[in-house]
Amino acid sequence: MPTEPDLVVPTLEAISRWSGVSLPNEAARLGLADYVALLAELEALRGTVVFEDEPSSFEAALRDCMEPAQKGAAQ
Amino acid sequence: MSDLTTLSMTEAADAFARGEVAAEALVRASLARIAAQDGKVNAVVRLDREAALEAAAVQDKARAVGTVPGPLAGAPMMHKDMYYRAGKVSTCGSAIRKEFTPKATATVLQRLDAAGAIDMGTLNMAEFAQNPTGHNAHHGDCHNPWNLDYCTGGSSSGSGAGVAARFFTAALGSDTGGSIRLPATLCGVTGLKATQTRVSRAGVMPLSFSADNVGPLVRTARDAARFLGVIAGRDPKDPTSAPEPVPDYEAALTGDVQGMRIAVCESYFLDGADAPVVTAFEAALATLKSAGAEVTRVKAPSLRAVAAYTALVSRVEGAAIHAHWMREQPGDYATHLSARLFGGYAVPAHLYVEELARRGPLLREFVAETLTGFDLVATPTLRTRVPTLAETDIDADPANWSRFMAVSANTRPFNYLGLPTISVPCGFDDRGLPVGLQLAGRPFAESTVLRAADAYQQVTDWHRRAPAL
Repeated sequence: MPTEPDLVVPTLEAISRWSGVSLPNEAARLGLADYVALLAELEALRGTVVFEDEPSSFEAALRDCMEPAQKGAAQ
Repeated sequence: MSDLTTLSMTEAADAFARGEVAAEALVRASLARIAAQDGKVNAVVRLDREAALEAAAVQDKARAVGTVPGPLAGAPMMHKDMYYRAGKVSTCGSAIRKEFTPKATATVLQRLDAAGAIDMGTLNMAEFAQNPTGHNAHHGDCHNPWNLDYCTGGSSSGSGAGVAARFFTAALGSDTGGSIRLPATLCGVTGLKATQTRVSRAGVMPLSFSADNVGPLVRTARDAARFLGVIAGRDPKDPTSAPEPVPDYEAALTGDVQGMRIAVCESYFLDGADAPVVTAFEAALATLKSAGAEVTRVKAPSLRAVAAYTALVSRVEGAAIHAHWMREQPGDYATHLSARLFGGYAVPAHLYVEELARRGPLLREFVAETLTGFDLVATPTLRTRVPTLAETDIDADPANWSRFMAVSANTRPFNYLGLPTISVPCGFDDRGLPVGLQLAGRPFAESTVLRAADAYQQVTDWHRRAPAL
């Protein structure tokens, strides 16, 4: 049986405090433990994320990234 | 025609339009096949037999006086049980909504009705569309028609299994992390997720406001083209729907990929892929090259960030949508679902905001890396062979968590990026289960995606093969 990551117990407490939701089952506990890999990925991204001064719009990016011919037709 | 259930959606609709087959005959053939086979597959939740026969009779009368009531007239369909129809129960695959009866009808159902599609009822799905495997503790698991011990993929499990089993010609699925493309690939049919905002979500159960998509599971790319042409376009009831004009997708199906440029990412999508999947994928690329396409390996460093953020968005938004029920009646969810939702409450708000704020910039980065100088990105839809129901059943064994979550690794990034993406059958693994080829294009380039998929299907027959139930 693998050791439970340290993050699990404090996360359970934070969820209960902030959301009023209690641990529903053992699978949920394992799911939290599975966050260790995701946390490592997010830690690796730190420093690569720079917020722009202007609000970025996903919808605007969709339109900007259209096929050139299609983009021209839409304008 | 000997067996009408062998007809694809467009074949059935075109045969009806030409007066070669009656709508009632098409519906009766579907009903007979469901009656004979669904006891094994468990795709159907509610069968509206009499309503479907009445709709078919109306269409046959119209056809008799020379009127064809729309491009989908005569085609029997059923839809994932999360598309609201006024006065009809929509369980959303759950016990919590077992008696939920909406007052309004989803825009996409209204558009399908207007196009003449015959709605025969509702289909099994993952509870609240929240799993990629097709397990359902309330309606019972849906079974893969190619081998009943295996997953259908989810969350549109009944949609994929039912189209594969020839129960009907087409079905609506929904796709937040792969829920159209996964059942399409696991069941050996064609599934299309359009550009984010391309199709109205009014009257559709929400899972994740940022990543939900509506689209078809069908047998061919041509079916998908016609179906999308009916449901796409601006809807005043859905302010997030895009105003871009809807082209004639079917007219774009030239059968030609000569000169089309296809990028294959060197990392991520093939990481840890099973050998039979790689073999089928490489064979599909070779087929496209033989047909005149250019295939080039590219680097896509933005995928690391895309993959990390993708894992957050639907969890957080799903957790918010379900917060009341998670507090008040958590025991009414299946174990795997309450476990999954629970994790969403652990994500800090600033990370969620960061994920949304980075979505546009990362889309631009990914397009610059993979779609500048290229028309499409190709990947396997699922990295692994199709898993069994048992080995991805978290309710029976929570230790299956990682295998369960890994199912959508190759599909989720395209939800975060919002790109149009199709999955078409491209072979079978060593256990006889289907393998899928995923093709993604630039935003609103559904015509390009469909043209490549159709051209591939012109020179292959994987999509024509049917399981022997």
